Amino acid sequence: MRRFGRQCRGQGKVFVTLVRQTEKQLLERGSPLTVLAQTAQHCLRQATHLPARQRERVEGHLQAALEAHHTIRRQSQRLTQGKPLRQCKIVNAYDGTIAPILKGKSNCPAQFGRKPGIISEPTAGFIFATHLPIGNPSDASYVVPLVDKVQATIARVKAPCKLAIHSVASDLGANDPTVRQTLHARGILTLGIPKTVEPINPQPTPQAILDYLNAAGLNRKRTPYQVQLACACGHSRPVVESHIATLLSRGAGQVRYKGPQGAAIQLGMTVLAHNGATMVRIRQQRLSKRAQKFRRLLGLRHRNVNQINNSKN
Amino acid sequence: MRLFRHLQHWLTGCGPRLRVADFVPVMHPIRQWADTFPWAALVAALERSFAQRFPKDSSRGRPPVSLRVLLALELLKHEVGASDEHICHRLRTDFAVMYACGIEGVQWDCPREHFVLPETLVQFRHRLDDALMDELLAIQAAAAMEEGLVSPAHLLVDTFPVEQGSQRVTDATTLYKAQKKSSTSSRPSRRNAPRKRPR
Repeated sequence: MRRFGRQCRGQGKVFVTLVRQTEKQLLERGSPLTVLAQTAQHCLRQATHLPARQRERVEGHLQAALEAHHTIRRQSQRLTQGKPLRQCKIVNAYDGTIAPILKGKSNCPAQFGRKPGIISEPTAGFIFATHLPIGNPSDASYVVPLVDKVQATIARVKAPCKLAIHSVASDLGANDPTVRQTLHARGILTLGIPKTVEPINPQPTPQAILDYLNAAGLNRKRTPYQVQLACACGHSRPVVESHIATLLSRGAGQVRYKGPQGAAIQLGMTVLAHNGATMVRIRQQRLSKRAQKFRRLLGLRHRNVNQINNSKN
Repeated sequence: MRLFRHLQHWLTGCGPRLRVADFVPVMHPIRQWADTFPWAALVAALERSFAQRFPKDSSRGRPPVSLRVLLALELLKHEVGASDEHICHRLRTDFAVMYACGIEGVQWDCPREHFVLPETLVQFRHRLDDALMDELLAIQAAAAMEEGLVSPAHLLVDTFPVEQGSQRVTDATTLYKAQKKSSTSSRPSRRNAPRKRPR
């Protein structure tokens, strides 16, 4: 998992003071909002001369105002009274769905943001699905929703060949027995999710393959060859960092649209654009040696008819 | 005569429609990128979703900009790293962008027919939601799998942090504003302060 790196220092205390001052003023100013909104709701119920549609609309606005104030108050208290915001950072407190990304560094300021998850294929970096949860949940909680989305995508495919997920690889953060059990129940190998910091063996012995299949209860569903490929995929798992780097180069590192919906739209559009560029690379055979070999092993070898004809002639 | 036909736009101010595909080379990166998308399925998904969520009350008013154009502009924006204004401006002048947006022909005497304002792009984005984005991604992935370009057999899962709604205080303007605000809020106001009597 990537995390925010070390941030620049200095000038921080000034801005924390500023945030604290301004937020307190805003909270004090907004404190009578709850009473006012409730009074307005009461008046609205008595105003029977208004059309039902208009009353419903105004009621919705009032309810949104009440909820917004509650969210702002909670979030700004997290910002101003907690420890997370200590250095040169001014955070938009009016978005209740962002959360401090606190894991990893103890000597650095925590940043507020989102943590999207992606599920991609290891050869060319085509991203099948994204998941953008609210807050900062554990990495293990991303695996099953992402796999669900990919299986829903597979159900859309009209091709005669039957596609299926054979294995899923991730980092140590996704090491969770419940996730493993869920994936095994669906016939998916979890060899690529490490249990320790030791690197995964890319070429397991036949005995190790058999032991693993028996332990996972998948010896009737998955073949030893698929286990070998799963090991190779888990061994080369860090290649996903290059897929993330490509997304970041397309501007996914900072969400410019507003709110959780804006974040989802920007991430989705970036991933769609990235997938288009990936498909161009696949069609033009502009892939790394590792990717070419993996595609060959998966039976995804691209046959360029024109090239074969040219070589014959 | 043939030369006159090609220069007719400048000589007479009108002429036949120019075919956009003729002006964009086959190996142009934007053309190749645009050719990978299953546009018909994507636009159909958008239309279906919009028809359910934003039903039209009347048929009056200006005809809307095509969803194909808006979706392509939004995707191109992320592909080339441009702003709304920049990509809308390029749509007026860049044949490759016109090709990516599915515009087949342009005519010199009505050059405003394919203008898109940045505000229109913003309104289009407001109509999108998470479920629709997931559906668009699923359509693209399904098309790639049907074509045999990718396989979901072995997958990688990972997460990465994204900054949201934050403003890094590194530029001089923000620093100045913050310091000014801080100094005004901490300084006691002169009006309320009691005057000192001169001794």
